[in-house]
Amino acid sequence: MDIVLQLLFTGLGIGAVYALVALGFVLIFRATNVVNFAQGEFSMVAAYLMVVFAVDLHWPYGWAFLASLTGMALLGAIFNLGVYYPLRNRTFLPVIIATIGASIFLANTVLALYGPQPQVLSGWFETPGIQVGPVYLDSQYLLIMGVTLVLVGFNFWFFEHTMLGKKLQATSQDKEMASLLGIPVAAMIMLTFVYSALLGGVAGILVAPILFVSIQMGSTIALKAFAATIIGGFGDVKGAIIGGLALGVIETFGAAYISVPYKDGFAFLVLVAFLIFRPQGIFGERVAEKA
Amino acid sequence: MTISRRRFTTALGASLTLPALIGRASAQGATMKIGMCAPVTGPAAESGRYAQIGAKLAVDAVNKAGGVLGKQVELIVEDDQTTNPGIVLAFSKLASQTDIVAFLGSIRSTQLHAMSPDALKVGKPVMIGGTDPALTHMGNQWYFRFRPNDSYSGKVIADYGVNTLGKKKWAIVHSTDAFGTAGGKALADALSKINGASVALDQGYSNQSQDFTPVVLAIKQSGADILGSYFTFENDLGVFARQLRQLGVTIPYVGSPSIVNITALKLAGPALYGTFGVADYAEDSSAGSKAFGKIYREVAKVAPDNQSSWTYDAVTVLCMAINKAGKTDPTAIREAILAVRKHPGAEGEYNFDANGDGLHGYNIVRNENGTIVFDKHIESAS
Amino acid sequence: MASALTARQLTGTIAYVALSALAVAVVGLLPMDDYTMHILVQTASFSIAVFGLTVVLGLCGQINLAQAAFFGFGAYAVGLGTADLHLNFWIALAMGAGVALVMGAFLGMTTLRLGGHYLAMVTISFQQIVTLIMVNWIPVTHGPDGIGNIKRPAMFESAHAFLGLCVVAMALIGYIVWRLPQTPLGRSMRAIRDNELAAGVAGINVYRVKVAAFALSAVLGGIGGGFFAGGFAYVSPDQFSFAESIVFITMTLLGGVASPVGALIGTALLIVLPESLRFLKSVPGLYLAIYGLSIILIIRYMPDGIWGFVQYRIRRWFAPPAFTDAATELTLVPARSTNTVDAPMALEVEHLAKHFGGLKAVDDVSFSVRRGEVHALIGPNGSGKTTMLNVLSGIYKGTAGRVVLGGRDVTLLPPYARTAAGMGRTFQNIRLFRSMTALENVIIGAEHPGNDIGSGHAALVERARAALAFVGLEARAQELVTAFSYGHQRLIEIARALAGNPSLLLLDEPAAGLNSTEKQGLRDLLKRIAAKGLTILIIDHDMTLVTEVAQRITVLNFGRRIADGVAADVLRQPDVIAAYLGSEPDAPALA
Repeated sequence: MDIVLQLLFTGLGIGAVYALVALGFVLIFRATNVVNFAQGEFSMVAAYLMVVFAVDLHWPYGWAFLASLTGMALLGAIFNLGVYYPLRNRTFLPVIIATIGASIFLANTVLALYGPQPQVLSGWFETPGIQVGPVYLDSQYLLIMGVTLVLVGFNFWFFEHTMLGKKLQATSQDKEMASLLGIPVAAMIMLTFVYSALLGGVAGILVAPILFVSIQMGSTIALKAFAATIIGGFGDVKGAIIGGLALGVIETFGAAYISVPYKDGFAFLVLVAFLIFRPQGIFGERVAEKA
Repeated sequence: MTISRRRFTTALGASLTLPALIGRASAQGATMKIGMCAPVTGPAAESGRYAQIGAKLAVDAVNKAGGVLGKQVELIVEDDQTTNPGIVLAFSKLASQTDIVAFLGSIRSTQLHAMSPDALKVGKPVMIGGTDPALTHMGNQWYFRFRPNDSYSGKVIADYGVNTLGKKKWAIVHSTDAFGTAGGKALADALSKINGASVALDQGYSNQSQDFTPVVLAIKQSGADILGSYFTFENDLGVFARQLRQLGVTIPYVGSPSIVNITALKLAGPALYGTFGVADYAEDSSAGSKAFGKIYREVAKVAPDNQSSWTYDAVTVLCMAINKAGKTDPTAIREAILAVRKHPGAEGEYNFDANGDGLHGYNIVRNENGTIVFDKHIESAS
Repeated sequence: MASALTARQLTGTIAYVALSALAVAVVGLLPMDDYTMHILVQTASFSIAVFGLTVVLGLCGQINLAQAAFFGFGAYAVGLGTADLHLNFWIALAMGAGVALVMGAFLGMTTLRLGGHYLAMVTISFQQIVTLIMVNWIPVTHGPDGIGNIKRPAMFESAHAFLGLCVVAMALIGYIVWRLPQTPLGRSMRAIRDNELAAGVAGINVYRVKVAAFALSAVLGGIGGGFFAGGFAYVSPDQFSFAESIVFITMTLLGGVASPVGALIGTALLIVLPESLRFLKSVPGLYLAIYGLSIILIIRYMPDGIWGFVQYRIRRWFAPPAFTDAATELTLVPARSTNTVDAPMALEVEHLAKHFGGLKAVDDVSFSVRRGEVHALIGPNGSGKTTMLNVLSGIYKGTAGRVVLGGRDVTLLPPYARTAAGMGRTFQNIRLFRSMTALENVIIGAEHPGNDIGSGHAALVERARAALAFVGLEARAQELVTAFSYGHQRLIEIARALAGNPSLLLLDEPAAGLNSTEKQGLRDLLKRIAAKGLTILIIDHDMTLVTEVAQRITVLNFGRRIADGVAADVLRQPDVIAAYLGSEPDAPALA
């Protein structure tokens, strides 16, 4: 039983990381109908920014955090202008490839600027964790879960109960109509990318103390986060969260009870199963094409 | 800013032809050329950088002492991109320069396997750092190894754990790539030959796992009283070590060389205090290693490890052999290298056997609160 | 005429063979160092795999992010076959291609339910799972150690000879992929890429073609992998990962996604370029950063790739000329009996219903269309007309009821099968295949099973020309459909449906978007079609048009049938007037 509890905690912890990154995916997808393959790199860049500010420049943690987020907002804006916006009227394939190109560019620019050594980033808390009975709760994982909860709540409030949130929803559902109603579509899209970059950045900064800051840290998470969004139901925010958590738990238990080396395979098997039997995911809706 | 398509294509065309023109501009001097395949890009770019530093330090030392056969040594580096086709291309590119007398290969065994057919064809000596035992036992007489191969690391870990630490029930954790699998097997084999020793857990994991909780729990459940590991990547090792301590595992831990790499020490911090490692390079193990450590720190500003020590030794021994042979004929160089006895290198004392293996033992080191302390050297019969 | 087409193709083929022979001679005989030969072998074997992507992605429009996995199947088959099992190279290669074929078909079968992003994810997952198996199933695959000592085929053991062999293979396969777009299968693929819905309705078995595309792509990937293994004599799992799949896709897009020439250009560039840019490697990451940036720039400024860009420029010199002789008369011969006396109804709709959750878009509607008549289906917006048409043509599955076409129950048949049974339709938003000429669009309409027009390409061309002549556009048959005005595009769509020899023609708002002159032309065309005895079911809002051509009218409101009968009677009914024509009694409904 102890083992189950420990596995559950760790599974939820890593799942919360997937969920955060997945949230960024879903938001961009809803607004632009595009899957952003560079979402993982957003997390990675943010972590490196933290290293620059907090470790190299020795700024206090809070200021470094704010500075990094500002950097991420800037990155999101540039990404939109440089990659998505010029391609917004094309089919989804060129955009996917362009985002893949962007992910390669980001990863290797960081490599060129900072070098290949992994870096250490300290966590928020002094104490690395607390022991509750037989289960060890890593404090950073607790923080991640807490932040995810807060962000989910924030998202819900923002999108359902604020004017700006509704405008963003309108833009994502029907760009033409939204623009006819006077909503500045270009600005909404820009806002979406900035917000997504911020979300990805927060995920990266939160997970860096656990997984260390390395060039590859983004891509390993992003693919799984993408799988999580599909499992949860693409385009659905709560689906992304549930999908991420579920995936983390499935993976961890699969590794413990079935096979550790094939751990990554479980995520994909579950994904394929969902895609074949229930492509709309747990919460998604089937969208039919208008004939 | 809008760029018209025409302007873009012109620019693209120009940038494609330009490098061909630039590429012609390399000078031909009266130097002794040594080719080096190193990962400049790709996941192992970091180790490639260290490898180059080690090699260049040796080149500088050799040149200061008069060079090789009267000429200054020049190192020509090609990027192998950390991939197998990449090293084949890098090697064949170097090989096309017929004035290169010998080569430095990779530290990764799969890459060395990939370039083996070409190495045989070219017929010139290749200094290697990969530890797959098969590399020197597959009929390629041009491979000369400057690190002890994994059959030795497994034996030494087993020997130290059972005979010095007195622990018999082992848990083995290894990555599922070539290095980890071969290493894990070598350790299991070595243990099977020791009376009373047993393997309670043999656990593989995929590289770049983000979480090792299942592995740690499996170790706890197995009841092992000592842990041996073969980790390829330091960030995996860092996560594992931390989780090991978090979940309360305190059994003695003897790991493969990555456990004492500077990167691992930095990442894992206190989680690796008190662990043991087999290290082909240990700074305090010999006069040679101490000397190397000193000059390395001056240039690289970080502590040295096995990623740079082997290339240093390789260049040193190679130049020594050419000077001894008196000519650049490959067979002569080969004989000279195989005749090397008791050469005090950074990695240890080199005594080449007929297969091309220069080292036959490992150092045991201990992580004492972040400092690597040399414990003892265990030499192994082949 | 027909022979002019083949003469063009013949010259093209001769030129291709000559070029290929030259290439083989050059690589086989010219002395070159190992380094150059390695690069060329890599280019040739990768090109074959990229040709596979040209087929599935460029021609058929389906995304495949697992090409490296198929490349790996072929490489491992040759590796394990020659090194472990001591099989002949060719046998091992065939086995690899076979495994790739099966796996590719399997992947293609997932397209039954998925497209777009979901398909992308399935292929990525497949790729990741394959990589994991390659690494971990050590007893079979040797795991991460990889497989060495891979043998080459007898007589081709030297590097030069093997390189020559690779180039020959590349040329052969390249030829097949080059000619594929002009074959019926290739045309079907292009139709699916351009407009999947219209392709189904034009008689193409979309699912089967997609599976074929995936299977073909996988086989080519496998063959490329087999040659790669022979060339480099050593393979290991890290060479067949998701990152390599991305490399393949980039090569396809860089060169030009729909043509083998583009594939070759892209492959060569992405292999040779990193080699010639080695000096950029001094700063780790710089080269790849530029690579990533270039991808973005190329997608942005050269979306059709390099070759697409070139093709666009030289298109006018290579465009086929217009036909010089006169087209034949269009015969509209329905697939079934033409005996109007005791022939069953052309269409019988019995208690048809289509519900979307709680919404009853079509609610228990029944009506019949008499053979040889023009029957109109009218009603206010949202009354369920287009939904009805979509259920009739098989795009939606009805919730209840039956559809009987010419006495045959077609309720459960997919669209392409209904077309084969004699149904043809046009769409409210014109659905033409935008990358093709008018002639090709109409040919696709003609080449479905069940269309009895004689075999061979010449017969298809003749039929297509006849259909185009019938709508008055034959003179411009060889132009791209995008060059036509909206009204003319509508006519081409009708010609496409007619070319398929339907016994029933469904027209969904054919007058939408037409100006009054074009509407008159449409009206005349419909009358001419009716004069040939073809049954028409038409939806439209233009009452002038409807009253002029339709003999009978069925009226829908809120998904229910509220009137059905002879046109004049129906239009006088008060509830029809109230629902559709306006409730003001003095608003003239009819002249």
